[in-house]
Amino acid sequence: MVKTTLSLAELPEGHSGTIRDIDTSSPTSQRLLDLGFVPGTPIKAIQKAPLGDPTTFQIRGYQLGLRKSEADLINIDVIPDEH
Amino acid sequence: MNTETIKQKRVFLIGNPNSGKTSLFNALTGERKRVGNWPGVTVQKIEGIIKTGSHKLVVNDLPGTYSLSPATPEEEIVLKTLDEASGNVILNVVDIGNFERNLFLTTQLIELGISPVVSLNCFDTFTAGGGNIDLNKFTRLTGISAFPTIARTGEGVTSLTEHLAGIDNCLITKPCSCLRLPEDWISAADRILGLNGNTWKKAGPVEKFKAIRLLIAPIEENNPEQIEKLRIIREELAASISERTGKDLKAGDLACELASDRYQRIEMLIAECATVPGKTLPPWQEKLDSILTNRWLGLPIFALLMGWVFYTTFSIGEYPMGWLESLFTTLSTWIEANMNEGLVRSLIVEGVIAGVGGVLVFVPNILILFFWIALLEDSGYMSRAAFLMDRLMNSIGLHGRAFIPMIMGLGCNVPAVMATRIIDNRFQRLLTMLLIPLITCAARLPVLVILCGTFFGDNASFWMFTLFFVNLLVLIFLGQATSLLFKTEENSPFLLEMPPYRLPTASSVFHMLYEKVEHFVEKAGTIILAGSIIIWVLSVFPRDVPLSKDYDSQIVQLKSGPVTNETAGKIAELTRQKNIEQMEGRYMARIGKAIHPIMKPLGFSWRETVSLIPGFLAKESVVSTLSVLYLPFDENLGDAMKISGMNKLSAFVFMLFTLMYIPCIATLGVIWRESGSTRFTLMALVVYFFIAYAVSFFVLKISTLLTSSGQGLIEGAVIVLVVLFAGWYIIRTFLKAITGSKCKSCAGCQGCPVNQDKSCSGGS
Repeated sequence: MVKTTLSLAELPEGHSGTIRDIDTSSPTSQRLLDLGFVPGTPIKAIQKAPLGDPTTFQIRGYQLGLRKSEADLINIDVIPDEH
Repeated sequence: MNTETIKQKRVFLIGNPNSGKTSLFNALTGERKRVGNWPGVTVQKIEGIIKTGSHKLVVNDLPGTYSLSPATPEEEIVLKTLDEASGNVILNVVDIGNFERNLFLTTQLIELGISPVVSLNCFDTFTAGGGNIDLNKFTRLTGISAFPTIARTGEGVTSLTEHLAGIDNCLITKPCSCLRLPEDWISAADRILGLNGNTWKKAGPVEKFKAIRLLIAPIEENNPEQIEKLRIIREELAASISERTGKDLKAGDLACELASDRYQRIEMLIAECATVPGKTLPPWQEKLDSILTNRWLGLPIFALLMGWVFYTTFSIGEYPMGWLESLFTTLSTWIEANMNEGLVRSLIVEGVIAGVGGVLVFVPNILILFFWIALLEDSGYMSRAAFLMDRLMNSIGLHGRAFIPMIMGLGCNVPAVMATRIIDNRFQRLLTMLLIPLITCAARLPVLVILCGTFFGDNASFWMFTLFFVNLLVLIFLGQATSLLFKTEENSPFLLEMPPYRLPTASSVFHMLYEKVEHFVEKAGTIILAGSIIIWVLSVFPRDVPLSKDYDSQIVQLKSGPVTNETAGKIAELTRQKNIEQMEGRYMARIGKAIHPIMKPLGFSWRETVSLIPGFLAKESVVSTLSVLYLPFDENLGDAMKISGMNKLSAFVFMLFTLMYIPCIATLGVIWRESGSTRFTLMALVVYFFIAYAVSFFVLKISTLLTSSGQGLIEGAVIVLVVLFAGWYIIRTFLKAITGSKCKSCAGCQGCPVNQDKSCSGGS
């Protein structure tokens, strides 16, 4: 199994990954950390809004909508599908 | 001390947004609440009172926050209140359905030596989903007492209240909680505090918080010696953690490590004492969500819902509005029939009744709109609506939640401004409030219809469309300009929580309606009434205007003679001339004439200038005032204006100006009430005037340039530039007022959050 690193914004709808790291140079990062976006946490992309942005994510049992600009701060590891 | 005296205590409510904090507050305190402002900032401060046998508890509802590190001015309040709160009672509302994330705030409190009372809210949903918690074990492990509550029904509130009455403060004397800060962090924070002669043991919660922040946030100290000391402490801390955990940590990873560590402690605690139901939503919720936010269905469903809300608010709302209006007309007619003509009657009819009527007439709209808003918000749909519309609103710098207030603005700006309360971020809320008056409300339509019909005849609809279009361009430009200049990640972080769908309760809907109407009538109502009376005073004083001839005696003389068609016509003519002369002599006309030089560059005569003054009260008065002032020229307003030298261009510019120059007094009243800032409201007055002036001038000059052959090109360009610059400067100053003067230095430094933290939350 090969792990691939993506930005959270690139995670397709319905797919899951694990948070790898977060860009701490942005002021929003502290808030994301506080909300539980810490390395090792599983995260799933639920749905993109009809106009393409934002996207809802499921993390720690709740759903949060993030714009692309915020989701880009987060890197995730995904295990690609077999097919 | 007399033991029989009732002891007073303060309770501070802390919790995540959407944790049911406000419902719990309502359940605890019932109707007895007081709304004010937190000192220094325009954030609503809500207080309520619980009376038990021996105690009077004053409950303070603090703004909802996910963590103690403030991201918005609202959240800063929580941190600033912490020292005071810890000497009293802190009630931490935890949504047990979202246990891990809600416990993060609890963990931060415990780390700072605070032992809050925890209310495990939404307990019914938790147990229904198969959740289970061993409360004794929870208390043993964390050292804090927890009470299951269902705020929506009020269950569990009684035993919570009894417990609250029994404690005096919430400072921990013996730290023995599994959520406490690891030793290496404490000793590092102790060293930080030591730099200023303080220690961890002696420090208060806020000092402790700031010490921890110095360990994790980017360094912003100026003194090189201190920087070096900080750096060493951080590196040694990182080394010590690496040794304890086996990770390879750098000093820059400390922020991430601390958050991870907190969540690990929380996960361990939950694993020890609770079974949390499966981490996904119930299937019906997922199904509902997949329909309501569907790529194809989401927007049409939202549009239908909005159409319904709009229709009921403004079309059905018209009936009670009509009843109210006829009630006030009947009252006025009755008074006019039963009182002698004079100043008092005029004050009662034109000042007071018109003013009070002008306030109450909004109540049906507000009631209907907020009934729907309460339902949409309580059910959880509001977050979905924001999710759907965010992309569109973001293109003019606004939050997705701003869509509903903006669209309501088409009906009436007053409920629209009130609806901005659904936007939780203060900067975003004020920005939306700033833009709403640029949306053409239904009351401005008749003015446009009359003026366009008068000047453009067959082409009226085309020119009306052009007016709307210019207005829309200004709206987009202003939104983009302000967000470009002032939006930073600090003032507008976008984190849109999607709460689970819930069935709204009658009591929460009632609370919202009651609060909205009461505060509208009480707060905004007074300013609207005051404004009406001021305009009335300006339009009837001075009482004695020197007239060019003695109209009254001439009329009396004519009346005493035989009544023929000729004399009746003369009497009417004389009365009309008298009215015109009187109107010209009143303060309103004098003010209009005095400020006329300012308006002259726009091509307005003094008559147009005067008509703008009552337009402040309601834009429809612009037309009625104009028709009186133009009587000497012609009975027909349009013809009269043409005779006196107005052309299509100046008429267009006048309409554009009328559309934008000022929000009506009722809108200003609610802006004042909702923003909680007199400065913001006064600035709003000035800004709109400037925007309208700049845009009208711009249009006038451009059109003149296009039609005439380059005459005065340079002059025109210079004036346009100056006006644009002045407008930009005013808007900038204005926005500094919004962003808060303390933080103005931060607007430019996106890259350094600490800079903001230190300079903004430190001073008060």
